[in-house]
Amino acid sequence: MSDSSQPVFSCKDVHVWIADKEVVKGVDLEISAGEIHAIMGPNGSGKSTLANALMGHPAYTLEGTVKLAGEDVTSLSPDEKARKGMFLAFQYPVAVPGVTVASFLRAAVSAVRGTETPVREFRKELLSRMEDLAMDPAFAGRYLNDGFSGGEKKRLEILQLLMLKPRFALLDETDSGLDIDALKVVAEGINAAASQDVGMVLVTHYQRLLNYVRPHVVHVFMDGRIVRTGGPELALELEERGYDWLEPAAAGGV
Amino acid sequence: MASRPTSEPSPPTLPLEHLAELSSAAGEDRALLALRNQARESLTPLLLPDRARHLWRYTDPTRFLPDTDPTDLTPTDVGPTWRLEEPLSVAGLLAGGALRVVEVDAHARKAGVVVEDLHTAQASEFLGKAVSESHGFVEAINTAAWRGGVLVRVPAGIELEHPIRLRIVAGPLTVPRVLVVAGEGSSFEIIEGHVGGDGSRGKVLGVTEIFAESRANVRYGLVQRWDPGVVGHLTTRARVAAGARFQMSLASFGGSTFKADVGAILAGEGAEVETTGVAMGGDEQHFDHHTEHIHEAGKTLSNLDFKVALTHAARSAYTGMIRIARHAGGSEAYQENRNLLLSHDARAESIPELEILTDDVRCSHGATVAPIDPEQLFYLQSRGLANLQAMRVIVYGFLDQTLARLPQTTRERIEALVAARLHTE
Repeated sequence: MSDSSQPVFSCKDVHVWIADKEVVKGVDLEISAGEIHAIMGPNGSGKSTLANALMGHPAYTLEGTVKLAGEDVTSLSPDEKARKGMFLAFQYPVAVPGVTVASFLRAAVSAVRGTETPVREFRKELLSRMEDLAMDPAFAGRYLNDGFSGGEKKRLEILQLLMLKPRFALLDETDSGLDIDALKVVAEGINAAASQDVGMVLVTHYQRLLNYVRPHVVHVFMDGRIVRTGGPELALELEERGYDWLEPAAAGGV
Repeated sequence: MASRPTSEPSPPTLPLEHLAELSSAAGEDRALLALRNQARESLTPLLLPDRARHLWRYTDPTRFLPDTDPTDLTPTDVGPTWRLEEPLSVAGLLAGGALRVVEVDAHARKAGVVVEDLHTAQASEFLGKAVSESHGFVEAINTAAWRGGVLVRVPAGIELEHPIRLRIVAGPLTVPRVLVVAGEGSSFEIIEGHVGGDGSRGKVLGVTEIFAESRANVRYGLVQRWDPGVVGHLTTRARVAAGARFQMSLASFGGSTFKADVGAILAGEGAEVETTGVAMGGDEQHFDHHTEHIHEAGKTLSNLDFKVALTHAARSAYTGMIRIARHAGGSEAYQENRNLLLSHDARAESIPELEILTDDVRCSHGATVAPIDPEQLFYLQSRGLANLQAMRVIVYGFLDQTLARLPQTTRERIEALVAARLHTE
């Protein structure tokens, strides 16, 4: 992927406020097609805020520039970003009772592809992707995330990733709350997406997903900033030594 | 004695001779005229309810006073004809103060299903026995001056595959009366649909009585989709005998002011009642729904799930009465009302009213009034759905969860109405 002329995603000098509190304090990223970046950091460091704000969560104020395949999308609404090929896998996927997985996904696929997929064709595609993720076909008829276990919710996020085929995906703690089997399934989905040239950012604070998904780049995120960037070996180092050795001097005062 | 100021609204006086004329023009017997006169007697100005009384706390009762003489027999426009597009056991059309079209399919006819003009039917055994003239002033006006009525009677043990559909067209002033008698062990679906509205000036004061005899299984739908501007009050009561099951679906969409007073009396041991409803209001619509589940016998079960979605400056009040009599031990009653507000100006109130006179019961109720969840909206938008489409999906889901409990044909019909309504918002 190193020969890609243009990153599928980039952001420059991104700051994010929640009310008047600055949570993200200047982040630059550049991700090429098929490239996987991991953003690792302790709880409360602001990495989930960054992911949500990049997608356009209305509760956050974002400053800086966000580009998808070279196009400035900073001020676009979440649905416009989605239609331009951006995706966020939620840490806590929201339940929408009364709306089945199948009808929701068909609406989403139609919106993102900009064309109605015939029901039969859509169903075939859906069932085949569900099989890839070892999901029971009955899943399609259940209400969206309503009463789903943590693992079911995360599988559904990956199912959406595979159905919506974005250019770029942010995966927010997609590995949390998964048993080892579910983790493997989710990792396979992520690898499948990468092999189809989706650029991805995995936000996580565990190293264990990285046993199954090999990131090209690892960023360490603390106190609203990327404090260090390296290769996959950085993740292993974090696993061994924790985050304390990276504590920025400025944040160390008592 | 000080006379009341003439400007004070009061129920119509309904001259005796007008009632006699109405009754004789419709070919009614003496017993029916006697019932009309009895109801007329109770129509005193004092009958207008005090606004402080709970049933009228949210809606001005004078809105329902007729502005023309209900006994005026001048023929009115019957409105559009009705094209039947689905298999039905019975189709009945009440319009222009009369029963206009009755179609009964071969199976229902053979089974002895009776569909008659209520004016000339032999129904004194039932008429006024589930909703009496003392119920309130609207019911008293209806009982005295109803015009255009239908009796549907399904014999014991008869099961109808296709629904019975009654359509009631609102005119300038419409005072319809419906009576349904479900014989022992009979089973059928009956839908009462309200449409029309005389170019938005209509007023409707309707009363429906349903008798589900022992072990009958009646699925009743009350679907209101009047033209904008119609003012209407509909009262429905079902008397549910031992071992009978009564399922009521409400769907309220139209009119400018709509008050529904609907409910069931669980009169025999083991009776079951399930009420499922949705209401969608917009513009400046005012909805006032009152439900009653009255447990008069032991080991009875009632369940209610009512959902309201409002946009613009619409208003909704819901009051839900559960009464369990002292001798109705071993009963269960559940009630849930949820209101979804889609705009800053929409308002909803929800008031459960429980009168539980015995300890031997299981009872629960829940009510919520909430705006749309911004996290749900963000989630759907992040999947490419534009704001409006995302809201529609959420509202549809909110209502459809409740509609999923309905019989298939009613469900499909109401879902289509919900979808159509969502696309006009």
